[in-house]
Amino acid sequence: MPLIRSTFRELPSYLWSGWGAICSLLLLMAAWQLVSEHYGSLVLAQPLETFASFKQLWNDQTLPEALIITGRRALSGLFLALALGTGLGLLAGVSLTASMMSRPLVTVLLGMPPIAWLVLAMLWFGASDGTPIFTVFVATFPMVFIGALQGARTVDNQLYEMVQALHLPKRMILTELYLPHVFSYLFPAWVAALGMSWKIVVMAELLANQDGVGASLAVARSHLDSAASMAWICAIVLLLLGIEYLFLEPIKRQVERWRVTEA
Amino acid sequence: MLNHPVCLCAFRPFFLLSLASGLISLFLWLGFLQGWWVMPASTSGIIVWHAHELLFGFIMAALAGFILTAMPEFTRTPDVGRQIFIGLGLLWLLGRITFWLSGWIGILPAAITNIGFSFSLWLFLQPRLLIDPLRRQWLFSMGLAGMAGISLGFYTDILRDIYPMRWIHAGIGMMVALIVITASKIAMRIVNEAIDALPKLANEDAPDEYRSTPPRRNLAVFCILLFTFTHFIWPEARVNGWLALAAAASVFNILNDWHVGRALLSRWPLQFYATYWLIALGYLVLGLGYLGLVVPASSGWHLLAIGGMSLSVFSVICISGRTHSGHELDARSWVNLVALLIVFSAISRALAGWINLSINTLYFLSASAWLLGFLITLYYMAPVFIKQRPDGGKGCEEPIDL
Repeated sequence: MPLIRSTFRELPSYLWSGWGAICSLLLLMAAWQLVSEHYGSLVLAQPLETFASFKQLWNDQTLPEALIITGRRALSGLFLALALGTGLGLLAGVSLTASMMSRPLVTVLLGMPPIAWLVLAMLWFGASDGTPIFTVFVATFPMVFIGALQGARTVDNQLYEMVQALHLPKRMILTELYLPHVFSYLFPAWVAALGMSWKIVVMAELLANQDGVGASLAVARSHLDSAASMAWICAIVLLLLGIEYLFLEPIKRQVERWRVTEA
Repeated sequence: MLNHPVCLCAFRPFFLLSLASGLISLFLWLGFLQGWWVMPASTSGIIVWHAHELLFGFIMAALAGFILTAMPEFTRTPDVGRQIFIGLGLLWLLGRITFWLSGWIGILPAAITNIGFSFSLWLFLQPRLLIDPLRRQWLFSMGLAGMAGISLGFYTDILRDIYPMRWIHAGIGMMVALIVITASKIAMRIVNEAIDALPKLANEDAPDEYRSTPPRRNLAVFCILLFTFTHFIWPEARVNGWLALAAAASVFNILNDWHVGRALLSRWPLQFYATYWLIALGYLVLGLGYLGLVVPASSGWHLLAIGGMSLSVFSVICISGRTHSGHELDARSWVNLVALLIVFSAISRALAGWINLSINTLYFLSASAWLLGFLITLYYMAPVFIKQRPDGGKGCEEPIDL
């Protein structure tokens, strides 16, 4: 409850601090405008043409429907990866043997290009939801796993000895020592996995599915509709920015407040 | 003459000249708009006359007064000699007279005096601005050089029979950038004084110190100058819209530093806060105009000119003018009244062409509020500038504790 209260109390100043990011994005818009004017709208639609296309796609429900489908696939794969990656990573982190054993496997998983997984997934699952969900899962799992493993392995020994010496209750050791530390490794991994999941799902849909944002992007490309293509890309990016800055970042600031205080 | 109190410090004659020239030129402009009289003939057209006189007359004199007083303090160098600033003041005055007579005597005398003034100001201050090994004042140096270059470009265009309004717009951008730089320096003091003056409440979590964040300020200066540059070279390009919006966002971003709780509601911090808001709104309006919204560009320019520039000139005249004359800051209510009149003037001028009210009525309301505001300022500040210091000081120093 105090966490929620302090989040809401700091919300206005947090939202106001977004002007810096908005400024950078507007500078990007200016660069986009210049490039599109130089190369022509067929190569790169102008920002306003893109927004008009975005509005049209939104008004005729194409965009929200596709976003729901893509979001469902991305989040399904992501949640699977978060659950399994976090659980297995923590377990591996607790045991040195498991940690040593799992590292090469994770290196293999991390080194495998997502497009290779996608080819396999298309063979196994065809044009169903299974292809993007599996590809997202398999591409994001190792990132989460490594984050959890490192979080569990790097708890400060001196702090651990201190809580032992003070005979703190187990619940307190968990909430005051282990969770904040592990979370500081896990959270960036989760955020990176989220970003990755959106990119992978669009790629998977583009090659394997008949619906969703990726498939719509493929249709726009086949029609040489640069404005619609950019509108779909903007939709994905905006959603990602919204999730990251309006949802994840405030949580991150709250849970990692101890780091700022220490500094 | 040199021993008269008005020559005690550079800001005294320059602030007086700034107020007088602003009042006269805007009064003439108001009368012209209302059809009361015709304007003196000038080579470059009547709108250019209006913009030139407020930028290179009113604003430039205030800038000269402030910078000739503040730079010795910022750079820890001796005060500017009386002969120097009186000479600069006379050059500025000649600039006004020759420009006003340019319809009869040609533009060359006005070009020589106005360009001469802005270059002299820059060149005279250059050694002081760059004396600091860390080059902390280089932005001021660039700003003054920019204004001198803009003055040169303006007159070059007139001499080549090219409409010179683009230089006025560039001048507004350069001046707004200088205001952003200057305000952050003044704010460090006035906002922290306002914070210190307030009793701390038990459960208050507002910051106990104001700190101007250089990256935020630099981002704003960069965005403002980038828009100024692209607007100069491609006046009709759509990219200006995005850059103007970026400038607006960057100015709003500076306000993150200013959210310091109740101290913000004190009169001096609030004036600068309002200045930033009006500058940001000016760029917002300009940006939306370029991106296809039907808004007159002049609304944006006037939000910058009246809201950003006039209000900050008023604040600087009140703060620098009084503290460097040996007075405490003015606590009387006329200060708030004038600040409100200037804000009203900016908003009513910006609304011209937007709302269903006669444009001429809004022009009249805006100009009248501006004139009334600066007339009140002249009434209260002129005695400060033409009388001896109450603390027995003999120069530009701050109030001497006796």
